[in-house]
Amino acid sequence: MEYLNVGQDLPLMEKLGILANSAKYDVACTSSGVNRKGNGVDMGNCVAAGICHSFSSDGRCISLLKILLTNECIYDCKYCLNRCSNDVPRATFTPDEICRLTVEFYRRNYIEGLFLSSGILNSPSFTMELIYRTILLLRRKYRFNGYVHVKAIPGADPELIYRTGFLVDRMSINLELPTAEGLRTLAPNKHRKNILTPMRQIQNTITENKNDLVLYRNAPAFVGGGQATQMIIGATPENDYQILSVAENLYQKFDLKRVFYSAFVNVTGDKQLPALPGGPPLLREHRLYQADWLLRFYGFRAEELLDEKRPFFNVLLDPKEDWAVRHLDQFPVEINRAPRELLLRVPGVGVKSANRIVAARRNANLTFVDLKKLGVVLKRALYFITCSGRMMYPVKLEEDYIVRNLTEEQERIRFGNDGMSYRQMSLFDVGSFDQPVTVTDKIQAAAGQL
Amino acid sequence: MTVYRCEDSLESVFTAIYLAYEEKRDHMDTCISLTKDPILFAEDVYVMPDQEKMNKVMRSLYRIFGEKDYMSLCMALASQDMGKAQAVYRTVVNGLSARCEAGHLFDNLSNDEVHRAFALARGVGREIGHLREFIRFEELKNGLLCAKINPKNNVIGFLMPHFSDRLPQENFMICDEQRGIFAIHPAGQQWYLFYGGEQELELSFALSAEEQEYQELFRYFCHKIAIEERKNLKLQQGMLPLRYRKNMTEFLHNK
Ligand code: SF4
Repeated sequence: MEYLNVGQDLPLMEKLGILANSAKYDVACTSSGVNRKGNGVDMGNCVAAGICHSFSSDGRCISLLKILLTNECIYDCKYCLNRCSNDVPRATFTPDEICRLTVEFYRRNYIEGLFLSSGILNSPSFTMELIYRTILLLRRKYRFNGYVHVKAIPGADPELIYRTGFLVDRMSINLELPTAEGLRTLAPNKHRKNILTPMRQIQNTITENKNDLVLYRNAPAFVGGGQATQMIIGATPENDYQILSVAENLYQKFDLKRVFYSAFVNVTGDKQLPALPGGPPLLREHRLYQADWLLRFYGFRAEELLDEKRPFFNVLLDPKEDWAVRHLDQFPVEINRAPRELLLRVPGVGVKSANRIVAARRNANLTFVDLKKLGVVLKRALYFITCSGRMMYPVKLEEDYIVRNLTEEQERIRFGNDGMSYRQMSLFDVGSFDQPVTVTDKIQAAAGQL
Repeated sequence: MTVYRCEDSLESVFTAIYLAYEEKRDHMDTCISLTKDPILFAEDVYVMPDQEKMNKVMRSLYRIFGEKDYMSLCMALASQDMGKAQAVYRTVVNGLSARCEAGHLFDNLSNDEVHRAFALARGVGREIGHLREFIRFEELKNGLLCAKINPKNNVIGFLMPHFSDRLPQENFMICDEQRGIFAIHPAGQQWYLFYGGEQELELSFALSAEEQEYQELFRYFCHKIAIEERKNLKLQQGMLPLRYRKNMTEFLHNK
């Protein structure tokens, strides 16, 4: 295959700068989902929980060497730095450069592996083949056994996607925008169908492969860490309910491992894009992640959290608190008796603490002091629980009262002087709250403890 | 009251637990201490660490409580907290008398001693987790990869299985600078611990020719991967505490 034109002979440092910079808006970059012990010969293993290696100045985890193979692109997606009509420096890595960087970074414990995406060079299949060859080289010649996540290029030959799948731990195809409508306006060269078809292909092959693995233990694994995708939030006018329903659908119908949400950052200044003077919609993104967690680990359904009449998340309360105050008839929950599913619905009780409660109450009748030891956040839980029939303080089971208390002490959001309590946020004003997401929120979200 | 006086090592504490059972002590009236603090009206027993006794205790704990809980006990004993020996002892007593099954040793968290051991293990576990992420190796002239750490707890032994599994064909070494412990992994072989000073290792810490370049590449990468519009140093600090940074490539400047 002919390999390449411009931007090849830049110094490595410069290429890395350009191609990391162009990859940074991709958020689907954890190293999770696969447990693979080392084989004693090759370099690398994988840990299912994923390992972060550093955190950049925006507080996001650096786990993988996240780069594009090239930022050349024949497409013209309006939101993208690399769109062909944009005048930016272009660069392209050689496969050897990518392999060397991956291996040398890995042995120094900088990274968990490689995340490789790419602009579309010549054609989708041409690009996919380059990706395939790079990973083949990394696995065979450089004998790298760590985590590899690649983007499948929509519209590429299915055979190439199939072959690549056997070399990588995770594959993802970006949905880009939550609806077909949004895609049409902002990414005219992409079509919803071209995105969903390979997504389905990967899902089907994963299922077949699982059956093969049952039959033949040594069959090679296909995308062992599962499939992921991401959506850009706030570039198009979809509401939270639509977005969350799309995510739920992807989990249920496409068996995705993760759906990621990426608060839109306006880097091209295109007229069709919202200006976002207050910065990217971070709070909105945060609420979506919280809700996503509730779907995956807490047994909630999208339509329980939002509906046509309330299509946006509450700015002040996290989605679980919001649900709880609207369902006070289901509370208080008795800690010493309630089934695990119900415990999981109590604000301030995470998956771990719910499990610990279930284990600990076999030995003793639990008190509020015990709950603290079990990791329950009493500040939030106390309105919704009893221990042996008693509440912690005499509190009113009343919506306004609880909301006031929950929001007062948290002070997690600074908001305008209108003293709003239930104002729904309009689409683009979320960014006007500065840095609403607290560290503990993020850590708790990361640990699945909402 | 009987007080077993131990030194701060697994061997010593597990030997004491062995003795407490062998000598049929009243466990409610016995404790294990790592300090010299006098306790009134107590009979001091000085424990001679005994490898065989330690092995017996370890094997039993592993068999009865399962790998995960056994590891938690060991982690609790790696803590810097001097009350750890007592907490572990009481947790074991509690688990044996309540006939806890494998994986359930720490169920009874409303018990203070169990909770204490649990909390210590969790704290140590957190630090191990952090160091797995944040350790940075530098390549020396002779190709050896070398990392320096300054952990609060004595975690070096918990890090080695992880890195030996992922870098089987590398010569690498981790040094706990404060404690003067070196963990050494020769390529293709079993790792071991070495106690002593750098002099005895006869090491030169001169870096390899390429090392500087890769450090620079990584620093540049970390810089480029951040999104300016999302800048949030507080969040960064919450995820990556400052105390680790003095040994981390991306936070150091050119040497
Ligand atoms: S296909 Fe679209 S989003 Fe991807 S690099 Fe090209 S212009 Fe950017």
